[in-house]
Amino acid sequence: MSTRDELKSRLFLRVALPLVKVVREEDPRMRRLTRNMNAVVQFAVKGTDTGAHLVFADDGLEVVQGLHEKPTVSFTFKNLKSLNDFFAGKLALPSIKGLRRLDVILRTVPLLLSLKMLMPAADPKDPAKRAMKVKLLLYMVTTALSQLNKAGEPAMAKLVEKSPDRIYQWIVEGGPSAYLRMKAGKTKAGRGIYTRRRPFVLMKFPSIEGAYQVLTSKVALVEAVKQGYVVTEGAMEYSKEIGIRMQMIEELMAT
Amino acid sequence: MALQADERQQLERKANEIRKEIVKITYTCGGTHIGGSLSQTDIVVALYYKYLKLDPKNPEWKDRDRFLLSKGHGGVGHGAVLADVGFFPRSELDDFNKTGSPFGMHLDRLKVKGVDASTGSLGHGLGIGNGMAYGARLLGKTWRTYVLLGDGELNGGPTWEAAMAAGHFKLANLTAFVDRNHLCIDGATEDIMALEPLRGKWEAFGWNALEIDGHDYDQICEAVEAAYQETERPTVIIASTIKGKGVDFMENQASWHYGGLDEAMRDQALESLSKE
Amino acid sequence: MAKGLTWTIDDADHMTQAEIYGEVLTQLGAQNERIVALTADLAGSTKIGRFQKDFPGRFVNLGVAEMNMMGMASGLASVGFIPVVSTFAVFASLRCAEFVRTDICYQNRNVKIIATHSGTSFGQAGTTHHCTEDLAVMRSFANMKVIAPADSYETARALTAAVETEGPIYMRIGRSFEPPLHKSVDFDFEIGKAIQIHEGTDITVIACGRTVLSALEAAEIAKQQGLSVRVLDMHTVKPIDADAVLQAVGETRRIITAEDHNVVGGLGSAVAEVIAASGKGCVLRKLGLQDEFSIVGYPEDLLHRYGIDGDGIAEAIQQVMKTDFEADEDWEDEV
Repeated sequence: MSTRDELKSRLFLRVALPLVKVVREEDPRMRRLTRNMNAVVQFAVKGTDTGAHLVFADDGLEVVQGLHEKPTVSFTFKNLKSLNDFFAGKLALPSIKGLRRLDVILRTVPLLLSLKMLMPAADPKDPAKRAMKVKLLLYMVTTALSQLNKAGEPAMAKLVEKSPDRIYQWIVEGGPSAYLRMKAGKTKAGRGIYTRRRPFVLMKFPSIEGAYQVLTSKVALVEAVKQGYVVTEGAMEYSKEIGIRMQMIEELMAT
Repeated sequence: MALQADERQQLERKANEIRKEIVKITYTCGGTHIGGSLSQTDIVVALYYKYLKLDPKNPEWKDRDRFLLSKGHGGVGHGAVLADVGFFPRSELDDFNKTGSPFGMHLDRLKVKGVDASTGSLGHGLGIGNGMAYGARLLGKTWRTYVLLGDGELNGGPTWEAAMAAGHFKLANLTAFVDRNHLCIDGATEDIMALEPLRGKWEAFGWNALEIDGHDYDQICEAVEAAYQETERPTVIIASTIKGKGVDFMENQASWHYGGLDEAMRDQALESLSKE
Repeated sequence: MAKGLTWTIDDADHMTQAEIYGEVLTQLGAQNERIVALTADLAGSTKIGRFQKDFPGRFVNLGVAEMNMMGMASGLASVGFIPVVSTFAVFASLRCAEFVRTDICYQNRNVKIIATHSGTSFGQAGTTHHCTEDLAVMRSFANMKVIAPADSYETARALTAAVETEGPIYMRIGRSFEPPLHKSVDFDFEIGKAIQIHEGTDITVIACGRTVLSALEAAEIAKQQGLSVRVLDMHTVKPIDADAVLQAVGETRRIITAEDHNVVGGLGSAVAEVIAASGKGCVLRKLGLQDEFSIVGYPEDLLHRYGIDGDGIAEAIQQVMKTDFEADEDWEDEV
């Protein structure tokens, strides 16, 4: 069972950080910036094996959990809290190894900074950016729910422990979709629409803007339903339960 | 309107005839709920021969008054009156209780002309009566609904649900009677499951409650007509009666709730009635 | 009524079952002034209160007195009205059983009973408010037709048909938050005729009420494994569509029934009666509560517990067909 800090770092490393892949795929500037880069950029906590690394190779990017043998650049945080602060956008300076590869640092940092979009404070006006934020938030929420369960977080574990094979599906009309599958203690977050069974709870957002309002918690779920920003189908009690946990994640990652 | 002497006499004579019929049918068919049929007869006669707007040639006449014998076991008493009034030939009553006969212990609406509801299982009449009275009002009709209840029947909940509703819905076009013969099957009502104070209970439920002697036509008619004056409340007429009325060896005997008569008893019963 | 149980979604396309029923009843009431609606202090919970808004004079609330309500319905019907009576299924069918039987069925009164919160759909309210016996009891009353609509749209069609059909009719629906089966009210609906929801030749699942959607889910799961499953929406449990049953017997030879009800006396038994009378050999597996009382729980969990959700029916299909389904065992998050 993890402490709050451990949970947060898990969410940052396993949920938020991997979203740089999505940013890189969607944003041509980011792709150009990191084109043909070959490097390993690592984030780690000093004296532990807690960390994750970005592997730029073959004009691609993979996010791998754990420590790399020989990272090109390494951002090492003095403790878990420091890592969490960094990813929450607070002031926290890691010690940096591999400063001579300034080129790698300069090409990676913008990618990292793009994750700031996830923060509550970030409210872009550009529709394309808003759409991107919706996609990132959607993937983040679903993956975070799964990761909480994998970390043994009590509220999530309770929901998943005895669950039959159930799919919680989110769909944004004209936008991204993602799902959370759970069965007898196990969870999996996936992108797109799960086709092997009907969703147990389906949250449909009729518009990207509506999804934006809901996923950024600018509008509470019950109000959102009233306004038509989201339509939920399926098991009523469970859509409430999952809504509560979505709220929990937002609280964990925002502070 | 006070009852004229000759009208009273006619009613009393008719009641006596009906009671004799009840005795004869009981003899022929092997057994009936004779005690209660005898106690209710004056009320039933007053209604059918003075007050109910009916057309025996047209039992389904939409604007007829409705009569519900909620104490359905009084069926033989009701049947005798229905035959006499002309809903069907008297001869049909000879088959009372026989297989395939339309007549059994409890009169069946689907089989017997002039019957407005199949009762027998106690506690149903007042509820159905509520529906009829409410419906009449919705349709803007002036016909009335009359429900005759047994006193033992008042032990059960459904009647009180109905009583509460009738009071709540102000069903002034509904008149109920309680054949208060003070006896149920196992003994006196007040020993088995006490009902008193009964009048207070009905009043508490929003009814105009009257207590009368159920064998006195002046009182019966006065009470029935008093109900017509009500605009806000249903009326219940608690009629104190004698179970087995008219047959000396049956009067006030709980054991005659149901019984059969052999030839000797029949003759004795008829003789007792002739002395009335 | 607990607050959470009356949370509704405003969008008309997603009206809950009871709300649709309230709407349709109100429309029918506008077209036919013989219709009167009755409730026993459950106008809000059963949504018949919608009718009350438009036709207060033709709406009667009896308070917590269901037996009197049935009696009154009988009386009103005798005078020419078409009473539509609504309360929870457990009260409509069991508390009032004798009144329904004697005052309505025996006297063949034109009363329509809408029994809400049937089966285990009342989840959290517990066993006293569940009703897993009503199909059995109502089926045993002569003159009574028994219908279990699969979703809100079917409820609307069934109610309209019921009002147009003479005689006593008992209709059992859920608590209002069941997902839809049909896309709209536009489909062929006839009392007494099963609807084939899914074509198939290997095995037939005959379901009613909210288990029809479960059966369809199961059929889709089975299809992925190469099985061809026929799904029949047997909305009318009495009179049952014997032809459809016999056709399934002849063409698929294996039948699974599913109902949110005891397996004793309900849909499964009705189907068994047809099969037995036909003299043809057939595998029959009845899904539902296995002659047990229900427990408290969220409704979807209860469906799962009693094996009448998509998984439960799929598993039953598996067992009857004696095949193994390939499970999806990939538990890594997609990143």
